[in-house]
Amino acid sequence: MPSVYNWQLGREMDYPFEGVRPKRQFAMIFDTNKCIACQTCTVACKTAWTSGRGQEYMLWNNVETKPYGYYPLGWDVNILDKHGVQDMDGPVYEGKTLFEAAPADKVVLGYTPKDEDYAFPNIGEDDCTGEMDQGAWMQMPHMQWMYYLPRICNHCTYPACLSACPRQVIYKREEDGIVLLDQNRCRGYRECVTGCPYKKVFFNPMTRVSEKCIGCYPAIENNRQTQCTITCIGKIRLQGFMATPDEAREDNPMDYIVHYAKIAKPLYPQFGLEPNTYYIPPVHVPPKYLRQMFGWGVEEAIDTYKRASEDPKLLGAMLLFGATPEIIHRFKLEAGKAVGYDDKGAELVRVPMVEPTFLRDAFDGRFNAYRTNVT
Amino acid sequence: MWRRTLTTGAAALLVPMVFGTAMAADGIRAIIVDADGALKDPEAAFWDEADPVMVSMQAQMVAKPLHGEPSVTEVSVRAAHNGHWIGLLVEWETPEPRDTIRLDDFGDQMAVQFPLDAGASPMMGHDGAAVNIVQWRAALQRDIAEGEPEIRDLYPYALVDVYPDEVLSLTDARAYTGALGLDNPVARPFDSPVLDQMAEGWGTLTVRPMQIADGWGVWKDGRWRVAVSRPMRPILEGDPDLSPGTRRAAFAVWDGNNDEVGGRKSWSGWVDVQIEE
Ligand code: SF4
Ligand code: SF4
Repeated sequence: MPSVYNWQLGREMDYPFEGVRPKRQFAMIFDTNKCIACQTCTVACKTAWTSGRGQEYMLWNNVETKPYGYYPLGWDVNILDKHGVQDMDGPVYEGKTLFEAAPADKVVLGYTPKDEDYAFPNIGEDDCTGEMDQGAWMQMPHMQWMYYLPRICNHCTYPACLSACPRQVIYKREEDGIVLLDQNRCRGYRECVTGCPYKKVFFNPMTRVSEKCIGCYPAIENNRQTQCTITCIGKIRLQGFMATPDEAREDNPMDYIVHYAKIAKPLYPQFGLEPNTYYIPPVHVPPKYLRQMFGWGVEEAIDTYKRASEDPKLLGAMLLFGATPEIIHRFKLEAGKAVGYDDKGAELVRVPMVEPTFLRDAFDGRFNAYRTNVT
Repeated sequence: MWRRTLTTGAAALLVPMVFGTAMAADGIRAIIVDADGALKDPEAAFWDEADPVMVSMQAQMVAKPLHGEPSVTEVSVRAAHNGHWIGLLVEWETPEPRDTIRLDDFGDQMAVQFPLDAGASPMMGHDGAAVNIVQWRAALQRDIAEGEPEIRDLYPYALVDVYPDEVLSLTDARAYTGALGLDNPVARPFDSPVLDQMAEGWGTLTVRPMQIADGWGVWKDGRWRVAVSRPMRPILEGDPDLSPGTRRAAFAVWDGNNDEVGGRKSWSGWVDVQIEE
């Protein structure tokens, strides 16, 4: 089996195909601290792509409450359980990936969900880890906690879905690394559903073949960020293209956040797929849990994130979240503003680094009235 | 679940049927029968005239995912022809017919394979050596017999507000139809529950543009009887030559009760078919 380099794990790993990276890689960054689970992204994707027959319970984008929310039911605890305890302290992953842990008769370690696992898309919503005891007080991390995890297909560098398909119906686009499933050639074997540890390939019982997030490729081809990104009212998402660490560009906001500031981490990197969606970890959640979910370096990520105001570039990059529907390829700081540019160098957006504030007298003489404290 | 328990219980009470059968090593004999058109009626009386041959089926242990424990380990095969069409009647035991497809429901299927090149691998041919694969699918047959399912036939409590095809023009709604809108041949049957296909090795199975093969299946008393039929003489490029003489065929079965689909199947090697003059 060929050996490929997975930079998230800091080592080579087994993968059934040669490791050819796309010209550029579709990627997304989510700030979990800002997500309020309003599901606007979920609905945006649903109305854009999956409102057809057989897609009733299919959510290419979903937002689940952690630790007790899952769609489909128990997806991550199920595969973590099968994967077993792995050694993960970094900077090189010592454990096994899902490809390396595969049983002899399979390409990748996986499991097939049951139909009813999809029947409760928002199970566990807002469920906290437990009740607060008498006399409890606010501390960091929180004594009891929950947070929201928005999820789409990770358009993995080493997709398990792709490798599991005996017909090679799933392919990774050379031009942007988006992973697509050919609706013409698929015969509904469901090996991809079993293989994807994130359970982001879905079976359509009406068309009898599998379907998955298309990374909004028609938008990407027109330099627009995805539907789930541009509709996000919390502005928690930034979508663009991301390089490997050795080719990272400081003026690419995606690269800056992931490779320079290192505040955003991949989801379950130990699976070995090199997923391309990145999460700024929630600051109030115990690091032990976060380390399992986002790999090593979460404590440092949270610390840097909390001190973002000390790094103007990081602050500037973060201010570009939700600032424009276009894909930002470069950014710079200029006269107190973070400025985003497209791939041809044309300016897309200018965001003030400091929110303008206005102070008004408490007493308004014109109306002979005291002002209440509104923003 | 209750259905499965009931039928398993019933199957346990069945006395094994005894056939006067030959083994595959002797070859299958395609007898001449007096019947018109495609020989696709599994209950036609002429099958009684043909001797059944037991073909042993093996686990698929070559291409991943491997399938070490297939549930069907032998099939009985009879063959007949009328000078224009050849038919094969394949029978196997399974406690319950599975003809619904949902995420964790896999329908029953059966395929007969004919080589186009003498040396083609029995495992779906190989590069440069093609095979013709005629595959019957229980779910496609159910679509034809009982109508295509709506979502509530599959999930009685599914909640739906509105579908694009109810509010948009046909052209605009097409984007939401996925594989159905592309006429993916596994999504719905054309006129028959059988797909006429070709392959040149693993992962290359392709439905042919012209569909000629035909077939039908009947499940009764814990047993599928499925007849598939195709013309004996090549008409189009890619048709196998099944004119009188010694030909070959191989078989595959997918048991929905054992979640079999794709490479998760049982298969046979090549078996000689003596096609009577
Ligand atoms: S997240 Fe799953 S579906 Fe998406 S590319 Fe990775 S393995 Fe494939
Ligand atoms: S990228 Fe597009 S297709 Fe994928 S989840 Fe977001 S809106 Fe849906």
